[in-house]
Amino acid sequence: MTTRKRERLDVIRDILQTVKENRQIKPTRLLYASNLSPQMFKEYINELMEKKFIKLDIEGKEGKEKKSFSLTLKGQNFLQEYKVIENFIENFGL
Amino acid sequence: MTIASLMLQNKWILELFYSFVICAICMIIVFKTNKIYKLSLHQGIRYFRNAFFFYGIAFVGRYLFGLFSDFSLDYIFVTQVFFEFFLVMAGFFLFYSLVWKRFEQKKTHYFSSLVNSRIIIFELMALIIAILDTSWRTYYFMFFSQILVFFCASIIAFFNYRTKDNKKHKFLKFYFVAMLLELVAWVLNYLVAACFHWRHIVLVDIGIINVIFFLSFLCGVIKLTKK
Repeated sequence: MTTRKRERLDVIRDILQTVKENRQIKPTRLLYASNLSPQMFKEYINELMEKKFIKLDIEGKEGKEKKSFSLTLKGQNFLQEYKVIENFIENFGL
Repeated sequence: MTIASLMLQNKWILELFYSFVICAICMIIVFKTNKIYKLSLHQGIRYFRNAFFFYGIAFVGRYLFGLFSDFSLDYIFVTQVFFEFFLVMAGFFLFYSLVWKRFEQKKTHYFSSLVNSRIIIFELMALIIAILDTSWRTYYFMFFSQILVFFCASIIAFFNYRTKDNKKHKFLKFYFVAMLLELVAWVLNYLVAACFHWRHIVLVDIGIINVIFFLSFLCGVIKLTKK
């Protein structure tokens, strides 16, 4: 069986899809689900937060904080448009 | 009165109309691709959008310079440098949108896709081509650069068509044909300047090929950005 290296956009889609399915997901669980190295995971998460596709929710008191990621409206829009973007890139060979 | 003579009489209006049509097509393409670029931040889409942005500026310039033309040497010099610079840059951007992955493997954060260390090389080349052509009162530098660009782009487009799933991605075939058409248009441009002494009827044919080239991209962009 041959496998294809995931493109950047595929990784972003996978992360967003996982966050969407879980509604709220802890960073460690998202790291396992994303199949990325911790270093790469951090880079992607920073990028997604910069783009405001996901947001980090912090609950609880100081020292006992619970962190989780959730999808923003922009992230939801991206998931909907992902097919269009993917199709565009493939058809124009970009 | 034949159609050819009618066209010759209204050459000026025809050229303005032609520039206006290309501008309008480019504006729609830029608007549509900018939306998906903003969402994806994909560099290939960015360079593709820039290509049509530059084509648009080139033809807007030609349209406006045409409207307020005076025939002084300075005016002609500025017009030609402006038009050639943006036209050549557009060709470079379209080509670079196909090959950017080979040169930008590491994640790069450019503040601007119009002024950065890579694009400045293309801009310098385009400026030199425009100035050389204008100084020597010729178009050959632009023709040769664009023939080379579209020759390479046609090969890459053909390679993409053969290697990717062309049944699923049907526009790959049209993209290849569009690139070939533009290559033919630039070769004809060279021939009309070198052999046919700017014969008007050949220029009209080139104009038609160019409109088909831009329309095929417009159709592709509209179809592929439709949800």
